[in-house]
Amino acid sequence: MKRLLYALIATALFIQGCGKDNYEEPESVISGKVTFNGVPLNLKGTDQAVQLKLYQPGYQLNAEVPVYVAQDGSFKVKIFDGQYKLVGRNNNGPWINATDTVNIDLKGNAEITYEVNPYFLVENTSLSLSGDNKLTGNFSITKNVATANMSYYTVLVSKTAFVDDVSNFYRKDYNTASGNTVSVSEDLSSNETAKNATALFARIGIRASSADQAIYSEVIKIK
Amino acid sequence: MKRISNKYKALILLALFSASCNKILDQNPDQILTEEQVYTDEIMIKSVLANYYGRIQYGQRTDDSYSFTILDEAGKSDGGPDNIQTYSDTQWRVYDYTLIRNINQFLLGLRASSTIDEEKRIGYEAEARFIRAWVYFNMAKGLGGMPIVGDEVFEYVPGMDITALQYPRSTEAGIYDYIISEIDAIKDNMSDAPATKAERANKWTALMLKARAAIYAGSIANYNNKMASPIRTSGGEVGIPAADAGKYYQLALEASEQVINSGKYNLMLKKPDDLSRNFYEAINVKENNTEVIWAKDYIYPGQTVEFTKLNIPASHAEDIDRAYAGPILNLVEDFEYTNSRNGELKTKDASGNYIFYNSPLDLFKDKDPRLAGSIILPGSDFKGETVVLQAGQKVLQDGVYVNKTGDLGSSDANGLITSENGPITSNVQYVNKTGFFFRKFLDETPLASTRGRNSDLWYPRFRFAEAVLIASEAALELGNTAKGLTYINQIRTRAGIPSLTSMTIDDIIQERRVEFAFENHRYWDLKRFRLADKIWNGSNQNPNAMQYALFPYKVVAPGTANHGKWVFDKQLFNNSPNPRFFQMKHYYNFIDQAWVDNNPKIVRNPFQ
Repeated sequence: MKRLLYALIATALFIQGCGKDNYEEPESVISGKVTFNGVPLNLKGTDQAVQLKLYQPGYQLNAEVPVYVAQDGSFKVKIFDGQYKLVGRNNNGPWINATDTVNIDLKGNAEITYEVNPYFLVENTSLSLSGDNKLTGNFSITKNVATANMSYYTVLVSKTAFVDDVSNFYRKDYNTASGNTVSVSEDLSSNETAKNATALFARIGIRASSADQAIYSEVIKIK
Repeated sequence: MKRISNKYKALILLALFSASCNKILDQNPDQILTEEQVYTDEIMIKSVLANYYGRIQYGQRTDDSYSFTILDEAGKSDGGPDNIQTYSDTQWRVYDYTLIRNINQFLLGLRASSTIDEEKRIGYEAEARFIRAWVYFNMAKGLGGMPIVGDEVFEYVPGMDITALQYPRSTEAGIYDYIISEIDAIKDNMSDAPATKAERANKWTALMLKARAAIYAGSIANYNNKMASPIRTSGGEVGIPAADAGKYYQLALEASEQVINSGKYNLMLKKPDDLSRNFYEAINVKENNTEVIWAKDYIYPGQTVEFTKLNIPASHAEDIDRAYAGPILNLVEDFEYTNSRNGELKTKDASGNYIFYNSPLDLFKDKDPRLAGSIILPGSDFKGETVVLQAGQKVLQDGVYVNKTGDLGSSDANGLITSENGPITSNVQYVNKTGFFFRKFLDETPLASTRGRNSDLWYPRFRFAEAVLIASEAALELGNTAKGLTYINQIRTRAGIPSLTSMTIDDIIQERRVEFAFENHRYWDLKRFRLADKIWNGSNQNPNAMQYALFPYKVVAPGTANHGKWVFDKQLFNNSPNPRFFQMKHYYNFIDQAWVDNNPKIVRNPFQ
């Protein structure tokens, strides 16, 4: 009985210990998309490859909040209300260096579009897998910046819906593309992973020689 | 019993207390020394310098075996796979203004000292300034231009204007210029006699640093501007103008030729009839060494290094630890054959059938002798005993060869199945998984692989071969190919491979790759040649980015001519499943936010 009493007192003390000295967690959300002409871009979504920087000016230290961009070009940050500046990371992303600042007056939620000017676009992509595991299809390359040079285009296949130059089990790079519409033909019939997989996803990427990474097509489920 | 009264007790106690008083509070402290005490005593001055020498080991090094496994030289065998995807934004970053401040305090104290005679004082000062230049150089390699504080020792008093303490970053060219000018100022004040164990810097060490700094600056000026989009900042903190390349190559050539023509060091050739052994001893044996110019030295007892203990083959281990890492096939194949520049190992013939070898070492016949001097190959000797590497048996069943593997050290009627050394593909600790062991930096001293002793092998920072290869590279870049060939052929002749009759920069890169394997050059070389993002491009289809192992098998095919012979499988190295991925942002380390907070004049690097 006495022991129970002690236990009760101890529990009471522990509960007592939680004072109201904490901040409420942030509730406001900045969400948005990295776009070109209002259309979201398809990017590398893993490895924190594409980042924007969020600054809140007016404080002594100005460490940034990194904003990670997903492979469909979207991003989302949960943060306190206030005045923010959203800036592109230097030389990061498959576009002409974008360091424009977007001012955000955050009260509740904010929907942002961060407009950039990509070197290339991958459009009209169609990819399919035949019964004997041969990947065929085509896509078109749009050169969006007149001076851009293509370093390579790449065909990527992954077991999951995350597909990029690192997340894949099959990758084939080509250094030249003839014409604007490129046809794809990859033989996966001898690939064990492809044979055993229950689902497969494919994607095309184009790397401009002056960019640090590739721009991609949308992810296509081929199996 | 008679009781002692309280009065007496008090008296006795008082007497005891007063007796115990010695002058404990009047002693001089032996842990805290005044400036005066330090800078008037040569032994103290030397021990301050020794402290600095102990704080300047950067990048790949033998006290961090893991550092050898993240490039394309070796792979980690210890336990399960290393899932490293890419490099860190702060990979091997050096930012040590604490040490630079300490060195400046030392210079201040030394210059004020009256008792040390002038000549010696100048010598110590030069040594300290050399260490400072070395720190700046290692900072510049990773970060580009950084603030140069000269001899300033900053003192902060509350309320002062701190903007005077905030130095902006120098340009990348500026920091290399500073290093070169420091060396020019001090080199003639340093001893020109080789240090017995290459542990202290002398004139030739200083010239080596000058040559290396100049060749790095020259190649950055040259190759950065040849990239599709050169990496630079608008203020020049990163990126050197292409026009400066010639100037730096010239400086590099002059400095390296001064070392070459000094007559103090040479390319060691003491065992011309065993060039592999000769190469091993030129780098690893301290006694009468005339090749190593400056090294991180170790000594037993006291200062020892774990490399040998961690990486020794199981068959030779003297303690629990063994086989932490092993060289990979990529590096082995980059060593040429004496009769062919293509070093690819011939494991299968043109139609894809195995080539059978009588002994495992036959596969490596006619390889560059440096291979066996740098790497323990399957079947070669270490400390006079054979290192058996056997993954299993290749058993002929119904016309096809089938792998048979067993427990470590197990055998059957046909003999050994899997060697205690491996290689294997499981996640077990302490077993090799690449098919090779390190030989470079593996100590042959008895008990060097025990936890109680460890090894006292040094880790060279500069050796004569580098002077020769810097001279060769600089001459080539300056258009003097004939001179370039003379120098590179000195290296190749000592190594035991045929001379070249024509050369390009790729020959320099190739020669440095094999000559300086595991010597903290590869990463920095690929960076300065701006090749790292191409060779380690992150593609799993790129054989240079992927890592490979070599698995030797003994053939079991009774009644055929091949029974008892050896075959080899080249295969992906299980313990490093991801390709090496060096991104554009890795050419320069990231600047820390805290540095910018403290000093807003520091600009960030590109890609940040």
